[in-house]
Amino acid sequence: MEAQRIAVGKSVLKLDALALATGQPKFTLDLDVPGCLVGKILPSPHAHAEIVSIDTGEAEKVPGVRAILHFGNTERIPYTTAGQGWPEPSPYDTVLFDRKVRFVGDRVAAVAAETEEAAEQALAKIKVEYKVLPAVLTIEKALAGGAPVIHDEADCEGVYDPKHNIAAAVDIPVGDVAKALAKATHRVEVSCEIPYFQHAALEPHCVIAYFDEDGRLVLRTATQVPFHVRRIVARVLRLDPKQVRVIKPRIGGGFGSKQEVILEPIAAALALRTGRPVKLAYSREEVFVASRTRHPMKVTVQLGADERGVVQALDMEALSNTGAYGTHSLTVLSNVGSKTLPLYNKAQHLRFHGKAVYTNLPVAGAYRGYGATQGYFALEVAMDMLAEKLGMDPLELRLRNHIRAGETSPIFEKIGEGREGKAQVVRSCQLEECLRLGAERIGWYDKRRSPRREGPWAYGVGLACAMQGSGITGIDMAAATLVMQDDGTFRLLVGATDIGTGSDTILAQIAAEVLSVPVDKIFVYSSDTDFTPFDTGAYASSTTYVSGNAVLKAAQEVRNQILEVAAQALAEPVDHLELASGRVVSSKTGKALTLQEIGHRAIYVVHQRQIAATASFTCPESPPPFAAFFAEVAVDTETGVVRLERFVAAVDCGVAIHPKLAEGQVEGAVVQGIGHALYEEMHFSPNGRCTNPNFFDYKVPYALDVPPIETILVPSHEPTGPFGAKSVGEVGINGPLPAISNAIYQATGVRLTRAPFGPQRLLGALKGRR
Amino acid sequence: MFGPIVKPKDLREAVQRVAEGGRPLAGGTDLFVRIRKGLEKPGMLVYVGELPELGVLRATREGLEIGAARTHSELLESPLTEPFPILRKTLGTIASPALRAMGTLGGNLVNASPAGDSLVALYLLEAQVRIVGPQGERELFVQEFIQGPGKTGLRPGELVVSVFLPYVEGEPVSYFRKVGRRQALYISVVSLGALVWLDGEKITKARLALGSVAPTVVRPRAVEEALVGRLAHVEAVQDLVSLLSSLVQPISDLRASADYRRKVSGNLLLDLALFLQNRK
Ligand SMILES: Cc1cc2nc3c(=O)[nH]c(=O)nc-3n(C[C@H](O)[C@H](O)[C@H](O)COP(=O)(O)OP(=O)(O)OC[C@H]3O[C@@H](n4cnc5c(N)ncnc54)[C@H](O)[C@@H]3O)c2cc1C
Repeated sequence: MEAQRIAVGKSVLKLDALALATGQPKFTLDLDVPGCLVGKILPSPHAHAEIVSIDTGEAEKVPGVRAILHFGNTERIPYTTAGQGWPEPSPYDTVLFDRKVRFVGDRVAAVAAETEEAAEQALAKIKVEYKVLPAVLTIEKALAGGAPVIHDEADCEGVYDPKHNIAAAVDIPVGDVAKALAKATHRVEVSCEIPYFQHAALEPHCVIAYFDEDGRLVLRTATQVPFHVRRIVARVLRLDPKQVRVIKPRIGGGFGSKQEVILEPIAAALALRTGRPVKLAYSREEVFVASRTRHPMKVTVQLGADERGVVQALDMEALSNTGAYGTHSLTVLSNVGSKTLPLYNKAQHLRFHGKAVYTNLPVAGAYRGYGATQGYFALEVAMDMLAEKLGMDPLELRLRNHIRAGETSPIFEKIGEGREGKAQVVRSCQLEECLRLGAERIGWYDKRRSPRREGPWAYGVGLACAMQGSGITGIDMAAATLVMQDDGTFRLLVGATDIGTGSDTILAQIAAEVLSVPVDKIFVYSSDTDFTPFDTGAYASSTTYVSGNAVLKAAQEVRNQILEVAAQALAEPVDHLELASGRVVSSKTGKALTLQEIGHRAIYVVHQRQIAATASFTCPESPPPFAAFFAEVAVDTETGVVRLERFVAAVDCGVAIHPKLAEGQVEGAVVQGIGHALYEEMHFSPNGRCTNPNFFDYKVPYALDVPPIETILVPSHEPTGPFGAKSVGEVGINGPLPAISNAIYQATGVRLTRAPFGPQRLLGALKGRR
Repeated sequence: MFGPIVKPKDLREAVQRVAEGGRPLAGGTDLFVRIRKGLEKPGMLVYVGELPELGVLRATREGLEIGAARTHSELLESPLTEPFPILRKTLGTIASPALRAMGTLGGNLVNASPAGDSLVALYLLEAQVRIVGPQGERELFVQEFIQGPGKTGLRPGELVVSVFLPYVEGEPVSYFRKVGRRQALYISVVSLGALVWLDGEKITKARLALGSVAPTVVRPRAVEEALVGRLAHVEAVQDLVSLLSSLVQPISDLRASADYRRKVSGNLLLDLALFLQNRK
C-alpha cells in the first residue's frame, strides 16, 4: 500500500519559509492601519481588592486620549477567555472589567489614545481607590476553612464550588483502587510538583481592531483559535457575529498561550467606542503576568504492582492552581488523568481525582501538554521508583505494562474533555520499538550497569514514556475547501491555524498527494473567518489529524470531479482514467489531458462548472502518539549544577507527513520541557507580585544548555489518520521532567520531585542525604 | 527616559561634561538596562566609547594598559592579552557574543557589581585603575577603587581612562569557574578565580578571588596563605573548604540563597584542586 509518494513523507520547503526568512511583514503588528490608536491596559497593583471608585477625569484631559473603559462604563457579561468549542467547558468567571481585581496585573481599565505616550500618561492619571482584601497565594490557603472567597460575584457560572475557591473538580474511580493497592505486592507513592511556567512564545499577544469599508469589525490577531475569537467577541460585546471578521496572519508561537481570547474583546471594545482602529499589544512583562501560564500543580501517584511488576492499581490525584480565573481549569485537570492513565492499561483498578483551585496569582491556561505534562512527571517518577523496588530495569517495567495496538483502557471512556469520553481502541502503537531504539541510541544498558563518575561529577541515565492524543474526540471539527483554478492549480482554504508549526505546508502536502501534483501547485489560504471554512483551531494536537483528514476528504472529492470532467472530455468511462503526475491518462487508449487543460475546460469550454469541494472531519477518536525519552545527565555534587549530556526522544507519530517539521515539533517541545526541568520558575513576592517577569531573571534554556536533541521518528501507520499520520505537537514536552529527574536519581540517589531541578535545590537535597 | 547623549570631541571636554553632571556611557549594556527599569534617570549621557585615550591597548615592559572603552570581544581577540589567560577566561563567560561586542572593561569595572566577571581577574592581577578628573590624573588599586555594590572611588567629574595589568612573575596556572543557573548568558551565583604557582605538584603561591559572595570581590588571604606548601590535590585541601566558606559574606537573592553560596564557595576549592590535579 505504500505507493510511490510525491508529497507526503517529504520534507518540502515550508510554504512561508522564504517570506519569514527575508523578514516580510507577515505578523499581526506588521500592518500599518492609518489612524490607528494605541491601546493600553491599567494593571491592578493588588493581588485581591475591591475597586471602591475610579476617577478618569484627569486622565481624559491628557491630549490625545480617545476612550477609557472600566467597569463603570462597560457591560457586564460573564464569559471565559478559554478559546474552546461550544458548549464551553470552562467556567464563566470573567467579565471585561470587574469591580474586583484578583491578581497583581488583573485589568482595571483600558485606554485608547493617539500615541503610546499619551496612553501611558493617561494610565498614570487614572485614580483608583481600592479596598485591599486578604490575598490567597497557595492552593492550601485557598482550600483552608474560612479562606477569602475569590469569586464571590453572584453571576459567575459553571464554577464547581465558588465558596471554597474550587473552580473544577473530578473524581473518577474504576474498580476498587484502595483495595487493589492494599493487596498489591509492591507499592510506591510519590508527589511531584511544578511551579508557574511561561510559554515564552517569541511574539507577545497582540491585535489590531479596525473597520472595513462596510463598517464591519476586523480583528487581525495573534491567535490559535480565530473562529472561537469571533464567537466569543461577538457574544461579549453583543455584536452580530456577521459583523465580525477574524484574520490570523503569521504567528510567532503560541504553545497554548494564544488559545485564549484575552486582548481581542478589549481592542474591539475600544475600537467600537472610538470608531477608530486600535492596536493593542502586551509588553513582555504583561505577557508574563497577564497572559497565561501552565497550571502549577502537585500530582500524587500511588502504584500497586504484582510480583512480576505488572501494575494492578493506579491512583492519581491532582491539585491544580488555576490562578485568578478558571480558564481551561476543568479540561487541563481532566487531561492530567485521561492522557496518562491509559498508557499502563494492565491496571484494572484506577482512580483519578483532583481539584483546580483559585488563587490570587496569574491565570493559568492551556499549555502544550495540557495537564499530561504534569501527570507524566509524577507517573514516570513513580514507575522509576517501582522498578527500583522490584529490582527491575525501568525499561523492562515499561515493556510489561504499556498499552499495545489493539488494546484499550477504560479511561478513554471515563474521562473526556470536561465530560465523559468515548471508548477507543489503540490502532497503532510502536512504543516498544521506541523504547528499543532509544535505549540503543543512548547506550542504556551499559550506562545503567556501570554509571560513570569523574571526581565530583556523577553521571546517570533516566527514561520516561508518554502518550498524548490527536484532537478531541467528538468535539474537534475541521473543514477544508479545495478549489481548482482555470490554470489547473489549486486553492486550499482551511480554517486550520498555522501558528508556526507548518500546518499550512502539511495540509498542502496532503492535498498534493491526493491530486498527484507538486506542493507548489497548491496555494493555501488559512484562518480567516470570512473566507475559510470552520476549524476549531490549533490546539489539542489536532491539526495534522483532524484538519488533515478534512483536507484529505476534500481532495478526494476534487479528484473525483477532475476525473468526471476528464471522462466527459475524453469520452471514456471514469474507471479507465488515472490521475498521475499532473495528468489524467486513460489506461485503455493512452489519451491524456493535463490538469491545466481540465481546469481550463471546466471553467470556460463546455459543461462549465467550478471543480471544488468542501469537506469536514469530526474527530471520531483521538489516536495517541507515543514516545520514549532518554536523558543522560552529569551532576556536579559540589555545586548542584546539572549538565544535560544527551537527550534522545523516540517518537511514534504515525506516518510523519513532513519529517523535518515533525522532528522540529519534538525538539521544540523537548527544549521547553528541559526548561521546565532545569531552569524555569516564576517567583512571587509575599504580596503576589511576580518578581521575575522578564527573560533576564526568568531563565529559559539557551543553545549552550541543550545538547543536540536526538529525535528518532519511529513510523507506525494510523489507519484513521491522513496517510497514516497522528499528532506530534505536544507529546515531546511530557518527557524531560521525569526523564531528567530519573537520570539525576541514578547519578546521585536523590529523587527530585519539585521542578526546576536547579543547583541550589539539588545541592540541598544532596546535603540532606549525607 | 533620559536626557541628551553628547559625544565629546576629546577627553578634556568629556571630563567637563561629566563634571557638569553628565553620566559616562560606554557600551550601555548596564546603563540602558538600569534606565529602562526606571532605576536611574540621568540628565545627560556622555558617550566615551570613542575617546582615543580610552581606546588604548598598549603593552609596556611592566604590563598591559587597557583603555576603559575596550570591549570584551576586542580583548578576547587581541594577542596582547595572551599573557593574561585569567582575563580571557573571565571575559569569555560574560553574557553573550552580542553583549561582549558592546560591553566594555571600564563599564564592567565602574558598574562595580559583585558579580562582575572581569573583576575577578582584575583582583587576581592586582590591577591599577587610571582615573582622570577636573583635578587631574590619579591611580587606585582595583580593591581600593571598588567600594561596594555599584560604589566606586570615583569622585564627581571623574572618568576611568584605563586599567593597568602588571605582568605576573613566573607562569601561574589560571582557573576560573562560574556557577550559575544555566550555561549561557547568565549572571554568576558564585565564582572562583585563581592564579596558582606550582613547583611540580606543590603549591608555592596562590591568589584566589571569589565573585558574587560579598559586597565586593573577595580575596580570601587566609586560604591563599594556607595553600602554600601543600600538594595540588583534592585531599590536600579538603580541610580548607570550611575556612573558605567562612571568609565570604553572601546575601540571599532571586538567584540563590546565602547558604548555597557559602557552601559552594568552599566546594569550589575542591574543584580548583581537581583542575590542578588533572591539568596535564
Ligand atoms: C543580558 C545581560 C547579561 C550580562 N551578563 C553579564 C555577565 O555574565 N557578567 C558580567 O560581568 N556582566 C554582565 N552584564 C553586565 C554588562 O554587560 C557588563 O557589566 C559590561 O561590561 C558593561 O559595560 P558597558 O560598556 O556596556 O557599560 P555601560 O552600560 O555603558 O556603563 C556601565 C556603568 O559604567 C559607567 N561607565 C562606563 N564607562 C565609564 C568610564 N570610562 N568611566 C566612568 N564610568 C564609566 C556608566 O556610567 C555606567 O554607570 C550583562 C548585561 C546584560 C544586559
